[in-house]
Amino acid sequence: MLRSTGIIAASGAVLAACGSSSASKTIARVGETPEITKLGEAAVTDVVLLRTAMSVETMAKTILTDTAVTSLVAKDSAGIVSGFANAHTSHLANLRSLISARGGEAYEEPNEKLMASYGTQALGLVAEGKSEDDVSSLMLAIETLVASMYQYFVSLTVEPALRASMIRMGAQASRAAAVAAQLINPGIGAFAPGVDKDGVATVATLPSAFGALSAVQVQLGPVNPETGSRATVSMDTPSLNSFIY
Amino acid sequence: MPHVDNHQVESPETSVTSRRRLLSALVAGGAFATAAPLLAGRASAADSGSSSPARDPQDNNALNNALAREARMVGTYRLAAAAVSADDEVAGLTLILDHHIAYVHAIKGYLGPDAKDAPETPLSSPSGSLKAMAAGLAQIEDDTATIHTDILAILSGMDAAKILASIIIVEARHSAALNMISGTSPLVASGN
Repeated sequence: MLRSTGIIAASGAVLAACGSSSASKTIARVGETPEITKLGEAAVTDVVLLRTAMSVETMAKTILTDTAVTSLVAKDSAGIVSGFANAHTSHLANLRSLISARGGEAYEEPNEKLMASYGTQALGLVAEGKSEDDVSSLMLAIETLVASMYQYFVSLTVEPALRASMIRMGAQASRAAAVAAQLINPGIGAFAPGVDKDGVATVATLPSAFGALSAVQVQLGPVNPETGSRATVSMDTPSLNSFIY
Repeated sequence: MPHVDNHQVESPETSVTSRRRLLSALVAGGAFATAAPLLAGRASAADSGSSSPARDPQDNNALNNALAREARMVGTYRLAAAAVSADDEVAGLTLILDHHIAYVHAIKGYLGPDAKDAPETPLSSPSGSLKAMAAGLAQIEDDTATIHTDILAILSGMDAAKILASIIIVEARHSAALNMISGTSPLVASGN
């Protein structure tokens, strides 16, 4: 008896679910639902990658030449910071000719999405913290980010010769990152990851055997008196929503 | 007189070698598997724009050249690490040695049975002060990164390209770090 009642109830539920759609039209609803417009297909071509690289290189140059950074740099380090910024200018010239050779249009603006995600925040924190150490940390983060971007773009680039051009610029940024790391924590003892006497992780010049693609994290700005720590900014390489199509 | 024929079982010449290669490939495969998460792409949807094959056997020769170079880097750093005595110097050079060993394993793991023997013949005989040694090693790292970049320019397979790209990025870092140790100015060490 119980079993047959259960079967009848289950059948009812199935039949109700299979009911005609006309019934659903009668269900009351609040407000109007707008039509969903599908996004257009956007292919990630080699030119898109080059244009995106331009936007990130411009962002790197913008950050390194911002007054929030340059006003904190000591006289003897000013040449290094401007030298790093000049390297990005040189990459931009290189990217322009690579884009032009492929019939594309250069992109001269900083990457808007990435600036909004972390670039502006990083500059704000540096300005707020007023510490020269933040400049070195920011340089290390930016150069590591640019190197990671080119390494990642190799995996998306179709033309093999272009992959080599990309990695040349990535290698240059990677060199700059190693120099920044050595300026923060000098000597051969700083090659490997380690901790200081308080157990805090130190900056390693050679943190991994293979180039990493994970987000670059950097601590910037003043120490929060309540937590005793500083803000951590997470910098990600561009992806589908921040590519310049 | 009874005549006894000694029949030798003929087997393909490569069978023994292949077994040895297979074993070494299995060991190397472990290192490759360890490196794999680092090499994985993060936005797979973006790959839709790419039409490159994941693997191409035509890349094997170029990759064996990269393997040969890395094996020689291992030989070079074995000498360098043995030539210093201070703890931090031994640790620093051994770290880079370990990186190059990882590169050998990663490329071997990728090539599997197609990997050729790669002797660890040193590229130089590092000696003298750390400063002097570091300058020479930085140059060798630069040359190796250039060799790999030239190889990257002709690779069809995307997986191999990803491995080499992740190696080049760190070898550039090796070069700059060693240049800083050798006393080169920061701007020159950064390649400007």
